[in-house]
Amino acid sequence: MISRISLLLAIFMISACASSGSATRPGAPVSNSEPAVVRGQTDSSESAQEPARSYPVQVPPQRVDVPATTTTPPPAEPAPETPRERAAPPGTPASTLLASVDQAIADGDLERAAAVSERALRISPRDAYLWYRLASIRYQQQRYGEAEGFARRALSFAGNDGELSRDINSLLGQIGQR
Amino acid sequence: MGWLIGRLLIVLVAAIAIWCVWIDYKIRRDFSALQWALPARLYARPVELYAGAHLSAAELTDTLQRLGYRETNQVAGPGEYNANGSRVRLWTRGFSFWDGDEPSIYADIDFLGRRINSLRGNQATGDIALARLEPVEIAQINPDTGEDRLPLALSDVPTDLVNAVIAVEDHRFYNHFGVDPIGIARAFVTNLRAGGIVQGGSTLTQQLIKNLYLTEDQTLRRKIEEALMALALELHFSKDEILGAYMNEIFLGQDGNRAIHGFALAAEHYFGRPLDELDLDELALLAGLPRGASYYHPRRNPQRATDRRNVVLAQMMNQGFISQQQMEQAQKQELGVSARPTQRGSGYPAFMDLVRDDLSRDYDADALQTEGLRIFTTLDLRVQNTMEAALNDAVAAVEVPTAPGQTAGAPLEAAMVITDASTGDIRAVAGSRRPGYTGFNRALRAVRPVGSLVKPAVMLTALESGRYNLASVLNDSPVTIKLDGNNTWSPRNYDNQTYGDVYLYDALQRSLNLATVDIGMQVGVPEVVSTLRELGLASNPPPYPSVLLGAVNMSPLDVAQMYQTLASNGFRSPLRAVEAVTTGTGERLARYGIETEQVADPTSMYLLEWAMQGVFERGTARNMMSRLDRNLPLAGKTGTTNDLRDSWFAGYGSDLAGVVWLGHDDNRDTGLTGSSGALRVWTDIMSRLDIQPRQSFAPADVVFQRVAQQAIRTGNGRDCSDTIMLPFRQGQMPDPATSCDNNDSLLDRLIDRVRNIRP
Repeated sequence: MISRISLLLAIFMISACASSGSATRPGAPVSNSEPAVVRGQTDSSESAQEPARSYPVQVPPQRVDVPATTTTPPPAEPAPETPRERAAPPGTPASTLLASVDQAIADGDLERAAAVSERALRISPRDAYLWYRLASIRYQQQRYGEAEGFARRALSFAGNDGELSRDINSLLGQIGQR
Repeated sequence: MGWLIGRLLIVLVAAIAIWCVWIDYKIRRDFSALQWALPARLYARPVELYAGAHLSAAELTDTLQRLGYRETNQVAGPGEYNANGSRVRLWTRGFSFWDGDEPSIYADIDFLGRRINSLRGNQATGDIALARLEPVEIAQINPDTGEDRLPLALSDVPTDLVNAVIAVEDHRFYNHFGVDPIGIARAFVTNLRAGGIVQGGSTLTQQLIKNLYLTEDQTLRRKIEEALMALALELHFSKDEILGAYMNEIFLGQDGNRAIHGFALAAEHYFGRPLDELDLDELALLAGLPRGASYYHPRRNPQRATDRRNVVLAQMMNQGFISQQQMEQAQKQELGVSARPTQRGSGYPAFMDLVRDDLSRDYDADALQTEGLRIFTTLDLRVQNTMEAALNDAVAAVEVPTAPGQTAGAPLEAAMVITDASTGDIRAVAGSRRPGYTGFNRALRAVRPVGSLVKPAVMLTALESGRYNLASVLNDSPVTIKLDGNNTWSPRNYDNQTYGDVYLYDALQRSLNLATVDIGMQVGVPEVVSTLRELGLASNPPPYPSVLLGAVNMSPLDVAQMYQTLASNGFRSPLRAVEAVTTGTGERLARYGIETEQVADPTSMYLLEWAMQGVFERGTARNMMSRLDRNLPLAGKTGTTNDLRDSWFAGYGSDLAGVVWLGHDDNRDTGLTGSSGALRVWTDIMSRLDIQPRQSFAPADVVFQRVAQQAIRTGNGRDCSDTIMLPFRQGQMPDPATSCDNNDSLLDRLIDRVRNIRP
């Protein structure tokens, strides 16, 4: 009897699993490989633990917004909006390289800024903010085609970061007017 | 008669005067414009050090050794390291990169398995988040003269070396005017006493002239000309200018067809380390080489080289440059030359072909051979070396042995391209199963039909059309398609079976030809060709139906471009091998940045990838599942061509995308499918590289739904006791005939299942 009850419980859990899987959570990190095959008559303990394998789930990078305190010199092409400063944890590769990006922009060497952004992207290829920075640098260089590609890439990684998504969309809007 | 002699004398004097004026002019012209033809140097991607970096202690020490770092107990200066288990301490040399200067810093690195666990500085540097090693030089493009050198300002030449050269070659250098009669006399006496030549009479100035004008003949006329040139040189240029030129010009060894000139390059050639890291005994060894680089060659003639070094040291002491104790200390040292010169030249020929193709767009051969350009490439030595070490054995392991009685042809050949899954950087290339092979580069030039590798493009065309989803039911049954004229085409499945109604995802995972032709003809062959071109195919194949099954010729590099677009979720980035070009002094000349263009809808890409991950879990690559246990989920596709002539596999994780081709140059059959050949080779190498699992977000409009495991066209017979959950685009849900989710209430489904569970 107890086994029957646990079986029923397991079935409920599967159903719950299924409906939560089908619920649309905008941009929520969902691992790509959803439980693939669920057989009706599978062993209960196995089903209850579905998904049995732990699939990697991408956690969007933490971002804390800090009001911009530094003023950047007027760029070649004014960016639609100065990319928000990102308080990546100090002493990380990303924060170190982002500081170099800022320095290169301050020096007026946008190509170096782009190069350093790319270096950061080699370390964190799925960081939406880094793609966005690259997009805004290309925008300032008036390389709109490239800017659009990077901005769309940024958007595809932005996940549920609404504020960043808005920034990216606003940049895309600016690019669209060119 | 006397009149005649007088006239002749005048003519002779005039001729000599004109000769002198000419020599003077020539020396001034040549020397002030002295510019060596410098080879372009190519660098691999530098190793980045940061916590979390994908690097093992062994891989790091290997790189450090290639860079000529010296292992010491106490890391006290640039170019030194200490490796102790999972801990490596090192002091980088710093490098002038094209995107900024990398400082020379001390780093203390702790490894955890194949990753860097932590990175610490010392009290002087404080915390460091990341550091870059100098890039490994992988090749150079040599001038026709074969001369190579690393020009160095005199102020950067270690004083001990300058002293050593002056002491042994020309100790009156600062006192003579180009020619040194006293020196000649003294050398004559010294040599007479010694009973052999121990000291030369040529001044450094004369030796420089001899090297600059490369003459072998020892005629009296040449000797006089040399002396006159030396005088002219001293007249117009300072001692430091002459000494500086000598340090860079002098011939110091031969490395294959490359001539080693100057002390800076000699330091790298003999010791694998920069000049400023050498100790007194090592500098003295180099200073002894101008006398006879071949005769005193330290690797071939260690005893002679040691004796010569000790003579140099003794001369230095005699002239007060070093103390007796310093001399004795240095004379006791072992020779310490590196076992082999640093690997260069033809190190990575297949990759070099790519670089040459890329560079030829912007640079002519002359610029590459003479201007000393620095070329920063995307080659990842960790990936390239791992691949090279494993490829030949991996191919041998799948090669079908020749049947007894049959004559063995050339062995199975291979090509492989590995790119960065995100940026399109080419990280490794093999043009043959043999590393370092300089012949036919199959990665670029073996243009072959790709078979089922095109199927993802067929399915993507269908998904992009908005009319199909992963659970669309396709017809896997015999078909005859009319081509132009009276020709027809009747494709078959690989196993000659037919499977009737199958889902779209299943047709891809099991690589069913007939179902693929069914969907391909529905969406239209021209549309499929258009998708292929969006994904990066450069050629424009005519839209014959056979394209649907891979009658498209592509090189492994072309396939890498196509699959790179799939790996980066529908963003096409042109593959690149060169990242930047600078002058010899680090000034940026050209930069080739990442580019990216969105060519497919993210939701379509998500659905396609779901199906392609299933290739490993349920499809043609499932035989490799256990070997890739740590790496899955991965996405990929097998490819096999007619009569098993080509065996392909292309697949990707979150960090790397790789393509393997196996085949024979004469197009013989290989006896291998994509699954039994290329896939195994791919798995072998990618698992060694620890390829990272795919990570994907479901776009906002993706919904998971169950469908009956068995595809069926009418709803009456659907069997919801056995279901599979698939992703769908909202608004393009599965057909009610197959759906087991949204038509029934939760209770209905529950009852449905309980009924089936009941014993």
